[in-house]
Amino acid sequence: MEHPFDLAASAVTPTPRGRAVLCVWVSLPGAVGAPFAFWQGAGWGFAFCAAWCALVFVVWARACSFVAALDERTLTLYLGVAFPVERVIPRHSITSALIFRTPLLRLAGACMLVIFTPGMWAVLPGIPLEAADAVSAALLAGEDAA
Amino acid sequence: MTAATGRRRYHPYFALRFMRRTLLLYLVPLVQVLFERDWAALSTALAQDAVLFCLLAAVSWVMLRASSWELDADGVLRLRWDLVVSFERTVQASQLAAVQIERPVAYRLAGASRVTLYPALLPKGRAVTLCLTRGDARRLADCLMPAPAEQHYHPAGGERLAFVLLGANSLSTLLLVWLALRQGDTAAEQMAWQQLGQAAAWAARWLPAGLAWALTVWTFLFGVSLLRSFGHTVRYAVWRGGGVLATRGGLLLQVERRFRLDRLTCAEVRLSPAARLLRCYPVYLTAGCYCADDPLFVYRAGQEELVRRLLPGFALPPRRPLSLRQARGRSPVFFAPAGACLGFFLLLLLEASWALPAAVPMLALPAVLCAVWLAFSLEGWFLEGAQPFGRRLTFVRQRRLSLRLVCVFTPAAALKITQTPWGVLRGRANLTFAYPGRLHETVRSIPLADADACAAFLERNDPYENSQDHPL
Repeated sequence: MEHPFDLAASAVTPTPRGRAVLCVWVSLPGAVGAPFAFWQGAGWGFAFCAAWCALVFVVWARACSFVAALDERTLTLYLGVAFPVERVIPRHSITSALIFRTPLLRLAGACMLVIFTPGMWAVLPGIPLEAADAVSAALLAGEDAA
Repeated sequence: MTAATGRRRYHPYFALRFMRRTLLLYLVPLVQVLFERDWAALSTALAQDAVLFCLLAAVSWVMLRASSWELDADGVLRLRWDLVVSFERTVQASQLAAVQIERPVAYRLAGASRVTLYPALLPKGRAVTLCLTRGDARRLADCLMPAPAEQHYHPAGGERLAFVLLGANSLSTLLLVWLALRQGDTAAEQMAWQQLGQAAAWAARWLPAGLAWALTVWTFLFGVSLLRSFGHTVRYAVWRGGGVLATRGGLLLQVERRFRLDRLTCAEVRLSPAARLLRCYPVYLTAGCYCADDPLFVYRAGQEELVRRLLPGFALPPRRPLSLRQARGRSPVFFAPAGACLGFFLLLLLEASWALPAAVPMLALPAVLCAVWLAFSLEGWFLEGAQPFGRRLTFVRQRRLSLRLVCVFTPAAALKITQTPWGVLRGRANLTFAYPGRLHETVRSIPLADADACAAFLERNDPYENSQDHPL
């Protein structure tokens, strides 16, 4: 089976539009909560907005640093610069994968890929749909297809 | 292929388990009577309780008749419910990591056994518990995990003594004693406290009162936990065969456990202070969602061959202490819990030395314990680490007063390497092992190169490459 996305040649990263959707999701609870903060006083409201903007910036920065690389036997996820995290998941331990798209993600041409193993689960956010298809197909096809 | 059992019913204790959960319901009619002290209405309330009991007994009987189990020839266990709606849960023998058969005294009197099946890939809450007759339980275990005895081990003499001592756990006993006191009647509780008070008064002839109480309670708990542990080791045997490791033993609570060797998650050797003094080391197993506090067996120093005989492929992580220069870059998180406790008790001691001198010995005891804990944390600071060894990932982890040497068997363990900005500068990382069953273990502040070596090991090696029975 041929995949339009070349897994061997490239690592998977969130697209700029995918990252924007993530930022929109994170900013939504802040937008809902901000009127209540302003209700307490303008100072509280601005402080709340500043804190929430910082949170959105952190999410954007971490999404920028996200890379998923598929090796022969493992799937490796890299995340973060100041607080770097590396996850190494044996490919044969992956039991299922879930791709989901919301209307916003569909507009952005991106999707979320959730990977389940017996010990943990991992999210690949805002990645291109063809990359998600290729990764999940390669992961669940077994080692023969790798 | 296994022998099919046909459709079988559960033991009536299955229904009793349901009725035990409904005990609180009987209090409902009694609440008003007790609060308003309306003794004339007591007989009505008791009559309502009797009706409720009959109703729940009928429901239990219906549940017993509606549920059944069956093991087919392919080794698939089917648990069925057939009343109004029908459903069937299937459990594959090949997907099980462990089977446990428990026979408390009450079960033995009724000829029943409690069987718990631990799946290899599911979290702990998804274990399946069944109430079967003794014969059915044995037949089911023999079909799901046949364990012909090829390698035997019986702890005897000094080894059994060490097993009793190392299996005693004062904390879990404290919990059990507390539960027993809560569930027991008031007279027994008062009598227990009276006896303890007398023992403490006797100890107070030589010791300050608070210290005497602390030592009396600890001695009592340790004695009870020793008795529990002794009961656990009666007629205790471990054997291996047919790819299964099995244990059996117990006096009041007879327990038999079987583990599929190709489904083991990890094995660990705990070097507690008692184990070091006795030079006998307990081995603990984790398999799928099974994780017990009881040691599987103990071995003497120099008898590592026994462990490899019972657990083929087991590798002890090498204990190479870091030099002072190498350890200097490690995080101070090792000393945080013990150091905080020690600081707290030292402050209390300082305060007590001029405000309440009589309390100084009472506060000195926990301070000394915290100092010992701090000393063990220092050992962890030098020894904690992770590295591939042979065909296994191994790591050393300090937890409270014991050093744990762990060998990871499962090929499904995922790794998570996390760093703080301080760790990035020092080249240190925390390495988390995520096991099947959603169990985690973190090794702290190891060199980043060691964490990368473990990640590279996963990419380079497949422990089941040439095996016929790949577990996943």
